Amino acid sequence: MTVTHAGAPAARAVPRDVGRHLLIIPALAVLTVFFVLPYLNLALISLMTPSHRAPYLRILTLGNYTGLLRDPFTWQVIWHTLWIGAATTVVCLVVSYPLAYHLARASRRLRGVFMVLVISPLLVGVLIRTYGWMILLQDTGLINQLLRAFGLRGAPLMYNNTGVLIGLVHVFVPFMVLSIAGTIQSIDPELEFASRSLGAGAWRTFWRVVLPLSLPGVLAGTILVFVLTVSSYVIPSLLGGFTVLTVPLLVVRTVTELFNWPGGSAFAIIFFLVTLVVVGSYVRAMSRASRPL
Amino acid sequence: MIRPRERLWMNLAVGLIYVFLLAPVVVVVLAALNSGAYLRFPPEGLSFRWFVAFAHSRSFVRSLRFSLELATVVTVTSTIVGAMASLWVVRFSGRLRNTLRILMIAPLAVPGILTGIALLIFFYAVGWEKAGLAGLIVGHTLICVPYVFLITTAVLIRFDRTLEEAARNLGAGPFKTFWRITLPLIKGGVISGAVFAFVTSYDEFNISLLLSGVGTTPLPIELFDYLRFSFDPTAAVAGTISIGMALVVVLITQRLVGLESLYLGGD
Repeated sequence: MTVTHAGAPAARAVPRDVGRHLLIIPALAVLTVFFVLPYLNLALISLMTPSHRAPYLRILTLGNYTGLLRDPFTWQVIWHTLWIGAATTVVCLVVSYPLAYHLARASRRLRGVFMVLVISPLLVGVLIRTYGWMILLQDTGLINQLLRAFGLRGAPLMYNNTGVLIGLVHVFVPFMVLSIAGTIQSIDPELEFASRSLGAGAWRTFWRVVLPLSLPGVLAGTILVFVLTVSSYVIPSLLGGFTVLTVPLLVVRTVTELFNWPGGSAFAIIFFLVTLVVVGSYVRAMSRASRPL
Repeated sequence: MIRPRERLWMNLAVGLIYVFLLAPVVVVVLAALNSGAYLRFPPEGLSFRWFVAFAHSRSFVRSLRFSLELATVVTVTSTIVGAMASLWVVRFSGRLRNTLRILMIAPLAVPGILTGIALLIFFYAVGWEKAGLAGLIVGHTLICVPYVFLITTAVLIRFDRTLEEAARNLGAGPFKTFWRITLPLIKGGVISGAVFAFVTSYDEFNISLLLSGVGTTPLPIELFDYLRFSFDPTAAVAGTISIGMALVVVLITQRLVGLESLYLGGD
C-alpha cells in the first residue's frame, strides 16, 4: 500500500515540479538584474579612472582607493559618521528598552494598540517626520518658544549634531523596540517573579534576569539601528544643515555634484568595509561578554 | 513582577517616550491645519488655507499625481513578484530556503542611497541613461518586494496545508486549489503586503533622489528641495496626506494580519 501511495504522486509530480519553479523566476530575475548586477558594477566602477568629460574612463586603477585612504579628510568624515551612529544606537537603546518591555508585557488587547503606536511613525515617510522635527526644533520652533515662555534662553537644537541625533533616534526607535520586544516576550514572567520573591529589587531583577535574557534582541536591534543610522541621508542633510557631514552625504555629493562616479563608489565601498569591521568586532565583543560566567 | 509604585514610574516613562514618538507626526498635522505661517502656542486658529495653497501649487500637485501613479504601478509589480516568491520559498525551496530568504530581503538590508547610486551607474553602463519612470519603477519595486515577501510569508507559515490536500483529494486541480483554497486564505497577507508596498513606494526617498529627473519627480523629492529653503506649512499638507495614508495602512494590516505576527513571534 505504501508503495502505490508513494509511487502515484511521484510520477505525476514531474511536470508539476517544473511549473511550480516559475513562481520564483520573476523575483530572481529582478534581484539579479537590478540588484546584484548593479552592485557588482559599482565595485567595478570604483576601479575605473575618473574623468572630466565622461562619468568615468574604462582604465583600471587603484588610485581612487589609495587617494581616499591617504586623505585625512576621508577618515575624519568616516569617524564622525561612526560616532553619530554609535551615539544614536546607545540613546535609541535606552529609550526603546522600557517601551519594548512595556509592549511585551502588556495584555493581548492593549498590545495591539501599543503596536499601532510604535509602528505608525514607521509608516510616515522619513521626510515628513524630519519636517515635524524641523517645526519643533528650529530657533523659532515650538520647543524654543516653550523654553522662552519659561524665561529660559533658547537652545540651538537644529543645524547641528543635537538635531541630527534627535531625528535619528526618533526614526530608529521602532526598529529597536520591535527587535527587543520579541525576546522579552519569550522570557517567562515567572523568572522575574522568582527573583523578586527571593528578595531582589526591581533594578537587580532587571540587571541580573531580564537584561541578560534579552541580549539576543538587544544585539539584533543595536546592529540594525547602527547600520541604518550610518547610511541615512535625509536626516543629516535636513537637520544638520551644512554643519554635519556624514559619509552618505559626501558620497551622494561626489556622485551627483562632482560627477566623480569612481571616487564616490570607492568611498562607499571603503565605508561599507569599515562598517563591516565595526559591526563584526561589536558582535565578537558582545558574544564574549555574554558568555555564561 | 512589578509593584504599583514601580508601575507608576514605568508608565510615566513609557508615556513620555510615546509622546516623543508621536510628537513630530502630530505637529505636522497641526501645522497644516493652523492658520498662521508658524506654529505657535496657543495655535492661531483652524484654517484650510494651506490645503488651498497646496492645491494651487503646480509643482506639488504634479509630483503628488506622479507619486500616486508610480506607487500604483509598483504595488502591482511588487505584489505579484513578492507573493509568488513567498509561496515558492515557503513551499518548495527546500535547502535553498535560508539563502533565498536572505536574498529576498537583502534590498532592505543595504543602504537605500547606495542602491540608488548603484542603479544610476548601472543604467548608464547599459545605455539606459534616460530610464526616467521605468528606472523609478524598477528601483521602487526592489524596495517594496521584501515587504510583500515578509508579510505574505508570515501568513503562509501559519497556513494549514491539510486544507489544500483535502481539496486535491476531492479532485480539484492545482489551479483550482490555488484559486479556491490557497488564495482566499492568504488574501489578508497579500492585501496587507500590497498596501505596505503602496505606502513604501509613496514615501520612498533614497532611490528616488538619485533616479528622479525632469518631469519624473516624486513628491518626497519635491518636498526635500522645498524644505531645504523654506518651512512654510504647504509642505505640512503633503505630510498630512502621507500620515492619513499611513494610518489607513496600519489599521488594514492590524485587521487582516495583526501587526504582531509580523514582528513578534512569527517564526
